[in-house]
Amino acid sequence: MSLLAHTVQAGTPLLFGTVGEIYAERSGVLNLGVEGMMAIGALIAFMTSFYTGNIGLAIASAMIAGALLSLIHAFLSTSMRANQIVSGLAITILGLGLSGFLGKPMIGMTAPRLTSFPIPILAEIPIIGPILFSQDVLVYTSILSALVLWFVLFKTRPGLNARSVGENPAMADSLGLNVYLIRYVCVLLGGVMAGLAGAYLSLMYTPLWIEGMTAGRGWIVIALTIFATWNPLRALLGAYLFGGVYALQFRLQAIGIATQTPQFLLMLPYITAIVGLVLISAEAVKRRIGVPAALGLPYVRGES
Amino acid sequence: MPVISLVLGFLSAAPLFFAIGVNPILAYQQVLGVFLSVDGLTESLTRGIPLMLASIGLCLPFKMNFWNIGAEGQLFMGAFGATAMVFLLPESPAFILLGSMMIMGFIFGGLWGLIPAYLKARLEVNEVLTTLMLNSVAILWVDYLVYGPWRDPEGFGFPLTPMFPLNARLPWIPGTRIHAGLLIGLICAVIVYVFLARSKWGYELKVTGESRLAAKYAGINYLRLTLLVMLISGGLAGLAGMGLVSGIVLRLRHGISPGYGYSAIIIAWLARLHPLAAIPVSILFGGLLVAGDALQIGLGLAFATALVFQALILLFVVGAEVLTRYRLVLTWERS
Repeated sequence: MSLLAHTVQAGTPLLFGTVGEIYAERSGVLNLGVEGMMAIGALIAFMTSFYTGNIGLAIASAMIAGALLSLIHAFLSTSMRANQIVSGLAITILGLGLSGFLGKPMIGMTAPRLTSFPIPILAEIPIIGPILFSQDVLVYTSILSALVLWFVLFKTRPGLNARSVGENPAMADSLGLNVYLIRYVCVLLGGVMAGLAGAYLSLMYTPLWIEGMTAGRGWIVIALTIFATWNPLRALLGAYLFGGVYALQFRLQAIGIATQTPQFLLMLPYITAIVGLVLISAEAVKRRIGVPAALGLPYVRGES
Repeated sequence: MPVISLVLGFLSAAPLFFAIGVNPILAYQQVLGVFLSVDGLTESLTRGIPLMLASIGLCLPFKMNFWNIGAEGQLFMGAFGATAMVFLLPESPAFILLGSMMIMGFIFGGLWGLIPAYLKARLEVNEVLTTLMLNSVAILWVDYLVYGPWRDPEGFGFPLTPMFPLNARLPWIPGTRIHAGLLIGLICAVIVYVFLARSKWGYELKVTGESRLAAKYAGINYLRLTLLVMLISGGLAGLAGMGLVSGIVLRLRHGISPGYGYSAIIIAWLARLHPLAAIPVSILFGGLLVAGDALQIGLGLAFATALVFQALILLFVVGAEVLTRYRLVLTWERS
């Protein structure tokens, strides 16, 4: 399989996760539970596929599982005004724990997987065809969702509402927006996407069930969210860029080149995120593409 | 009240055991066995040491509303610094080597904490994100070392350093694995407590935590305060890392910390940011880790079970805490 095709596959879970996290953070909720939601999504998808053989059902249940986990986080951080960091970390630990706990009996086993689904005419296009259009359903979904969700976020009223809730919830509230509902929806969307990311990992990317399937991708997603400056289109760029790093590193190992340098390459998403954050911190730039101003702060009506 | 939520959270795992076809009573028996046996208790203490050091350190930044999520990375950097000393001075007498390992562990962890501190104080860069990102960088840095230049030539290719020589190991209580880190942890708890409760900085810290604006008007220098606090917090996490490589694992390896830095956040929070309370909570969490092992060996369950317990307890405590903090009247309001 070509390097670029592998890049797309490696980038897909990152793309799903990042787009979802973008929505959550745009509405002002920091979701540190992505890693756990991905893990649970992976597990539920695999389990469902293992016991029912129905891939569609597996994907759907992964989405629901991710949503349920994120519902806890949404409830705690929005309605209960709990500390978003603690809540998010609790979800990550819960998701990772459940995934390992329930997945133990299935370690090393295989389950029916996603098959590739080449798009009839487009797959024939000389170079791009095999890379982009001979992939599986979830890859197409991820790209589509990035495009659609970008459009929704920046070109529609609901997207504008979501963004304003994240910038100035008090103002949004006084203008009649239901801050809590919008945050719930955005966080749930994040959960669904994280579940999809996990489902992709266990149904397509990895041939069998192993422990620790997510391998820290949840944290990369959080880095990529910053890297993409909270924009789903740039998330495409970021996800495939780092998918490429994964794919490249894999190839280097396969050829037998020493596995030393991968670590520095792998550091890139995180370092760029930090650099990006520093650059964004300039006030003028902040106003254009900055961190959602109310990120991480619970909204309590009546408090300034 | 917190004890009730703790017990409730603990028991709420029961249906999960059913789901996996295991009798919950057996599982709980194993866990209780950990806390009711001498071996189990000493092992809980041992596993609790890094958690203790890191969580005590976290009380400081959290109290001033600086969200240091980077304890994990600071721990790794501390482990790195300590190990570097072993490579640099392998023949030194234990006293000197261990001392320098502690100092380096503290310094490297502290330095790692200073970066996000400076970025926040000077440029208002979100510290949750920077500390989080630096975690991954630190973990990868250690990976580079243990897969590469520091790898044990007789280690069958596994990503770990050679075992530490005797002079690089912290002294321990015979018959157990409890090492000097415990003493250091207890001392640090007291020091940090006094620092918080009695010193000028402790006062400044608390004011800043309440309101940065008020602190500014009071003339408190946010930059200096943040740098100092993060130096200590990172340093203590670094010490935790040093304790891990020098007292328990006796080498540096990939995944030297399975998320202790994150657990420390939970512990600090559960301890209501009180350094002395962090001690029993750390031991409890250490016990959960031992229980995880016990469940793995005794019932073939995944070690991840310990994580499930951690998370459920935490969620119940969060829920309970909020219910008591606010008299909550849940209505659906539409403005």
